[in-house]
Amino acid sequence: MPEPSEFDTALKPTWCPGCGNFGMFTALKAALAELGWEKSGFAVFWGIGCHGNGADFYDVAGFHALHGRALPAATGFALTRPDMRTIVIAGDGDGYGLGLGHFVHSLRRNVEMTCITHNNQIYGLTTGQASPTTEHLMRTPSTPAGVLEEPVNPVGLALASGATFVARGFSGDVAHLTGLYTQALQHKGFALIDVFQPCVTWNKLNTHPWFRERVYKLEESGHDASDRQAAFELSMSTFHDMTCTPEECRVPIGVFFAEEGRPTYQDGLSQLDRPMWKHAQAPRDVAAMVEELG
Amino acid sequence: MQHAAFGTSAEVRIRLGGPAGFGIKAAGQTLARSFVRAGLSTFDLTEYPSLIKGGHNTYHLRVSPDELFSHVEPTDVLVALDRATVDLHLAELTDGAALVYDPATVDVSDLAPEGLCLVAVPFDDIVKEAGGAKIMRNVAALGAVLGHMDFPIEHLAESLRAQFAHKEPQVAEQNVAVATGGWEHARRNACEFPHTLAPIEGAPKRILVDGNEAVGLGALAAGIGFYAAYPMTPASSLLHFMATRAEKAGVIVKHPEDEIAAMNMVVGAAFGGTRAMCATSGGGFSLMVEALGLAGASESAVVVGLFTRPGPATGLPTWTEQSDLRFAIHAAQGEFPRVVLAPGDRADAFELTWRAFNLADVLQTPVILLGDTYLSDNRQSVTPFDTASVQVERGELQVEGDVEGYLRYKVTESGISPRVLPGVEGAQQIVNSYEHDERGWGSLGEDASTRAAQNEKRMRKLELARTIVPPARRYGPQEAEVSVICFGTTKQPVREAMRKLAAEGLAVNMLQVVTVWPFPADEVAAFLRGAKRTVCIEGNLTGQLQGLVREQCLMDVDESLRRFDGRPFSPEQVEMKLRGVAGRA
Repeated sequence: MPEPSEFDTALKPTWCPGCGNFGMFTALKAALAELGWEKSGFAVFWGIGCHGNGADFYDVAGFHALHGRALPAATGFALTRPDMRTIVIAGDGDGYGLGLGHFVHSLRRNVEMTCITHNNQIYGLTTGQASPTTEHLMRTPSTPAGVLEEPVNPVGLALASGATFVARGFSGDVAHLTGLYTQALQHKGFALIDVFQPCVTWNKLNTHPWFRERVYKLEESGHDASDRQAAFELSMSTFHDMTCTPEECRVPIGVFFAEEGRPTYQDGLSQLDRPMWKHAQAPRDVAAMVEELG
Repeated sequence: MQHAAFGTSAEVRIRLGGPAGFGIKAAGQTLARSFVRAGLSTFDLTEYPSLIKGGHNTYHLRVSPDELFSHVEPTDVLVALDRATVDLHLAELTDGAALVYDPATVDVSDLAPEGLCLVAVPFDDIVKEAGGAKIMRNVAALGAVLGHMDFPIEHLAESLRAQFAHKEPQVAEQNVAVATGGWEHARRNACEFPHTLAPIEGAPKRILVDGNEAVGLGALAAGIGFYAAYPMTPASSLLHFMATRAEKAGVIVKHPEDEIAAMNMVVGAAFGGTRAMCATSGGGFSLMVEALGLAGASESAVVVGLFTRPGPATGLPTWTEQSDLRFAIHAAQGEFPRVVLAPGDRADAFELTWRAFNLADVLQTPVILLGDTYLSDNRQSVTPFDTASVQVERGELQVEGDVEGYLRYKVTESGISPRVLPGVEGAQQIVNSYEHDERGWGSLGEDASTRAAQNEKRMRKLELARTIVPPARRYGPQEAEVSVICFGTTKQPVREAMRKLAAEGLAVNMLQVVTVWPFPADEVAAFLRGAKRTVCIEGNLTGQLQGLVREQCLMDVDESLRRFDGRPFSPEQVEMKLRGVAGRA
């Protein structure tokens, strides 16, 4: 069984001191170690953003894909390598901006994979512009008068799109986040964990203290994670805005919804009985198919 | 000066025309299949607007005892399911041609039947008598065409029985009865049909295939494991072809949310070692471009079909053009090696597709199959593809076992870095869209010398490509009065024109640029140097191939012929140009 440190490479993370990405990095390595996942048994796909820079720091088989396109790249892999597991690590700008269409379609597809989204509610790598999850009216370099759009609600959108596992984590609580990861990684279907991870450099609103004053754990609140409707109502009612006080604005973390037993996309593919590269070990005999065209 | 028509007197050209939704293409293909079963050669051309119902659809079928290279312009038998068909195509009718129609629905009382045989057949009554559905009027028309030609009915009957084999037996028999009704009715006609086309007993077997089917078979033969595509004319039928064979053949076929997803899925599947492909037309390819660059940067073995229709933007969805040559060669930011292959006919399409997968694997870079609507949509009878010649070459690829200290992007002399699949013990790697070092790490790719080394390493693969890509093909005699250079499907009408002119004493040869990138500058230059008068023929406005000749060979051709109205070149148009170039107009 691997130790968490075995997933480190020779490179040290370059995220800003205090960045929420560190907590997510630690939690994922811990979850992989706890589950005993061998490095040859899974592949990781990243989009482009501060989260994606993590590609260099995990000693795994991975694919640092295009901005917003980690999900389809991972889907191509997951649908052809039934012998391996697939993890996607995305960002809010990346996955909920360009990637929003892929996000919804991946959910309704229920492809078996785990999608972890670094949600810092800002564009970090490109110096602080508004992201799709930036709070309404927040001022950023690209929205000096404030964001005029409502933020994307990833948990609600996922539930509405047929998600079979939806959780929200907070990078400031590594132990709790590790628990969410271990559950998600074992889910048979598409598992989403949207993780609030404060950007200490560009997001001066949604900071570590801001979250610490507001987060509470769903499993301690009596929430029934098998009730999609309850999960949906919770995702709407607790969708915070920038003016709310810690008393008014509570941010639940934990598993919103989990449903086991729904067929995955892979379950519908009877031909997915081996790694698909095995079909290219020799030419396929198509003589009969050619004859049929006579 | 009036020149002789194409083909021998045995050759017959049939056009079916009517409103969209009348099953014109399906009926035409049934007729084509009947002729192929009778040992004859066929070439068809479907023309239709981008509509489901209404609008004018036609299907033109050329049938001959001889091998056919392309369609031709004239028509000997015109089947008119509406009056518009008569008006649109009357001018193309040859001397002694027949007009087959139902007098109950098409009024031709104003036509002077001089040199024209009016074959009035009550399609609807024949269908009613057999108790069939109205759509079966097509089948009555097919029977009537054969009856007028004095061609036996049994091949059509066989073809219909095969077509409806999966339905209740009475469906097939009803169709056969309707066809026979049309056949018998037309045989009562008094006109003499000036062509004598007869079945050829014991003719070698031929298959009837369009370009998309040929590409699909090539991909299947190559061991494809993943095909993703978003519907777009003219590539959509390839998606259907793959989807219907997916489960049995063992291929994952995905129709995703858009072409961006399709191309990214293909790159992800290729990362897992699966032979993966997508295909689209120019609009979809535009959306794929960023991921095409990703395949170049990450050194992913992918095959992309770009089947051109007239652009820009939505353009003319159902028509043809060769205007994406430069787009295929230059698409995506930055510089990376790629191979672009341009099949000219269906046999090319099969062979170049399986070869494309080998090239992609050996070179670890994207290979583009550049086709067009003329290839995708139209069927030609051809010798069954040589499936025994297919080879699978996966290049430097380790799929199992273990490895230590693996460097995905190791700098080598050939530019090829050995691939080790995820899943192999020790094969930790980052396949990266960022510039990267040998390990795949993006953060170290910013080092100036590392960037230069990786950039040069990748581009060295283009030099390797030059030694293994399919060469240009020469047709015609070594010595010729006129030498043609072309790419893609323009080859077909050019070959047809060359054959006719050769028989009339005008020698023409042709160089088909098969691999359009890397451009075969030496072969093209040698061809042009050995030529008397040269002409570049291509289906675009700006002369994209001619521009490449100038740029890559520092030479030019004497003349050019371009077409950009959405229609393919006809051999008649090519013939006229070649006569002009030779000074023998």
